[in-house]
Amino acid sequence: MSPSINKKVSAAKVLKKPYARNPAEASETSDFDDWKKSKQLLKPKDQLELPEAELKEILARVLVTTNPQKPDGLVEFSYSEGCFIEVPLPSNLVIAYRLKGSQIHIDSEDATRQLIEMGLDPDEYRAQAREGMEEEIIEEVEPEQAEVKEPEAAEGEKVDEEEEEEEAPPQPVSDVEEEEQGDEDDIEIEKPVSSGIPKGRKKKLTNQFNFCERASLTYNLPVRSQEIQTIPPPRANFSGLVLQWVIYDAYQKDFDAKELEKELERERKEKEKAVFSLRPKLSKKKPGKAQISEAVKLRLAESWKVLERMINQNTFYDIAKDYRYWEDPADEFREEEGTLLPLWKFHYDKVRKYTVTDIEWNPYYYDLFAVSFGSLDFAKPTKDGAVCIYTLKNPSFPDYICMTHSGAMSISTHPTFPYMMAVGLVDGGVLVFNIQQSCTKYAYKSNSVTNKHRGIVWQVKWGPDLPDGELNFFSVAADGRINNWVLMQNELAVTTVYTLYLPMDPVMGPDGTEMRMRGAACCVAFHPENSLIYLVGTEYGNIYECCTAYSSKYIFEFRAHHMPVYQIDFNRYNSNIFMSCSADWRIKIWEHKRHEPLFVFDVGASVCDIQWAPYSSTVFAAVTTTGKVFVFDLNVNKYKSICEQAVVSKRRNKLTRMAFNYKLPIILVGDDKGCVTSLKLSPNLRIMCKPPKKQQHLDQFTLQCMKLDKLLSLVREPETLTPPPDTAGLED
Amino acid sequence: MANEVEDTLKRIQSHKGVVGIIVVNSEGIPIKTTLDNTTTVQYAGLISSLSDKARSVVRDLDPSNDLTFLRIRSKKHEIMVAPDKEFILIVIQNPTD
Repeated sequence: MSPSINKKVSAAKVLKKPYARNPAEASETSDFDDWKKSKQLLKPKDQLELPEAELKEILARVLVTTNPQKPDGLVEFSYSEGCFIEVPLPSNLVIAYRLKGSQIHIDSEDATRQLIEMGLDPDEYRAQAREGMEEEIIEEVEPEQAEVKEPEAAEGEKVDEEEEEEEAPPQPVSDVEEEEQGDEDDIEIEKPVSSGIPKGRKKKLTNQFNFCERASLTYNLPVRSQEIQTIPPPRANFSGLVLQWVIYDAYQKDFDAKELEKELERERKEKEKAVFSLRPKLSKKKPGKAQISEAVKLRLAESWKVLERMINQNTFYDIAKDYRYWEDPADEFREEEGTLLPLWKFHYDKVRKYTVTDIEWNPYYYDLFAVSFGSLDFAKPTKDGAVCIYTLKNPSFPDYICMTHSGAMSISTHPTFPYMMAVGLVDGGVLVFNIQQSCTKYAYKSNSVTNKHRGIVWQVKWGPDLPDGELNFFSVAADGRINNWVLMQNELAVTTVYTLYLPMDPVMGPDGTEMRMRGAACCVAFHPENSLIYLVGTEYGNIYECCTAYSSKYIFEFRAHHMPVYQIDFNRYNSNIFMSCSADWRIKIWEHKRHEPLFVFDVGASVCDIQWAPYSSTVFAAVTTTGKVFVFDLNVNKYKSICEQAVVSKRRNKLTRMAFNYKLPIILVGDDKGCVTSLKLSPNLRIMCKPPKKQQHLDQFTLQCMKLDKLLSLVREPETLTPPPDTAGLED
Repeated sequence: MANEVEDTLKRIQSHKGVVGIIVVNSEGIPIKTTLDNTTTVQYAGLISSLSDKARSVVRDLDPSNDLTFLRIRSKKHEIMVAPDKEFILIVIQNPTD
């Protein structure tokens, strides 16, 4: 036995034998020593430092049979009895080691039962076994069993095992022997068995109480703590001044956002309703960056414009004051005479050499006016022309400049769309500018070959809009045609309303053809009340009353002048009264359907332009080539002007055009050096009507009409002159 | 548009009596000037704070109102200011010249 142990079998196998514990322990201690040597002793820091004597002191250890750790006098509460009762003392037995056997005795009941199950006769089997002088033990071979050192069996089995242990000592003997041999020859052991059992292999009997619990401990995942410090969120001090308007703005923003949401909602609903509608999608994009910067640019331009006006206001401060407050005090002492006070002069360097060919106040902004620049001296035509729009607020530079490819001769601003401007040109073409869109590029242009006049376009005038809402204007030109231009989608459609012919017989042309000579139209004036009726002044002095509805015949002919008629103007208060001016030095005032003029004034120079005053029915002004401005008030003086003033130097400059402002007491006169002068009318030139004492309720318009009617009744000749009866001869 | 602004600027500069023009951006930094550096910085700083205050006054009296222009008449000059959210235009004029 002992030599077998000394042979170094594996520790596990040795451990199986309970009585072989001591030698095994010895081997373990040696192992331990080896291990201990290699390691350094770790001393706890707070270890007591003992002196040598104390270290050498031998402490006696005594083993006693009683368990000092056994509790004494244990009690537990009994609920049934309602008091603490003593618990019986536990036994002194201490189990230091326990091993459950894997073998069963051949004579035991279990073995018998297993053998029966295997189909063997137990008695026979036992006899065979004893015969072979060997204690046959039916062993269940479970390879793990040998190696697993069972710690402690379940408590329920304790008793059984203790019983078994008593039997155990003889068993291992055979076991070890068997193993010693078994390593060499397994088959030898089985030989007798196989011989004894005819059926062949011997079945292994298993211990039904024997179960093996296997467990393995996985590595515990080591717990590691990792820390990261994040960057602290940025902090800032916030402070603000809350004012009423800040709150207002915040609310306004919120309100706008809500409105937008509502709008979007509505749009979506509409879209859902009309899925198949062909209406183009109105995509409301939020203003992008480009649009915002565009808006900023616009505001910037606007601000500069206003600043320029401010600078001008400072520069021309005294003029501005005169314009506003100066009323010539000398007028009080002058009877029937007035003066003109020059205010701003409007220059523009680019058009210094050009002649002012037309001036027109903007119908929407009373301080804005358009001036066309061209040439009236046809020996020296200009290369191009221009239309400048000035404002009284900025006399130093025009607000808008529209350059034209040929000299501009006439302009007209649309009364309801004051940004639409028609321009007549020297080359017979017409242009339409939309100032809102672009100044540099015209919106419409007449065809340069077919749809154009064959002469200078002397005047353009917007007509009343067509029933379809299309804008249209009339133009008169030196080729004798009066054209009507309609602004279509992207082109000008033209119709000739009337063609003027000279009042003479057709001229014989070559090859026996006959040709009617064309008359040249110089100016046009539309009847203020009946838009179908218009007057055309011609180069040979006649004025024709025509109707846009009939293009073949004129209605009435006035043999007005002997030289070209430069301007015709209807009276603002009585549309039956109009006047004309001509190069034959004369201004004539006419009444509808009357061949002879009511008034004739000779001003001693070619009259370039005349206009009725908008504020009075009897006041009108005229400009002459001698650089003079004449103002007449028929109510004051029927024979001569009440003001005659040279505005520009007689030698160098000629006045070409003039215009009354419809709101301010200001007239503009243009000369042939591209300069426009504004003049303020003194109080004597703008005498208003005083209502008579008995008719205080009458308004100014009625009074003005009454004034004119009274005046006319004085000059009108009776319809038919009946000679007084000659009674002298009868008596004879 | 840019051309138009440039032209206007040039014209204003050529006007008689105009001493200087300063364009200040929304951050109060002068981006265009015809004056020397120190004067420009001084004008820009002072005028922008003044226009802020003036706007505050106008808006506080009536929140739906807004400041559009500011003219400061002094014995020597007139300072004309066009304040906007994005910029401030300052023109200094000597009106007696």
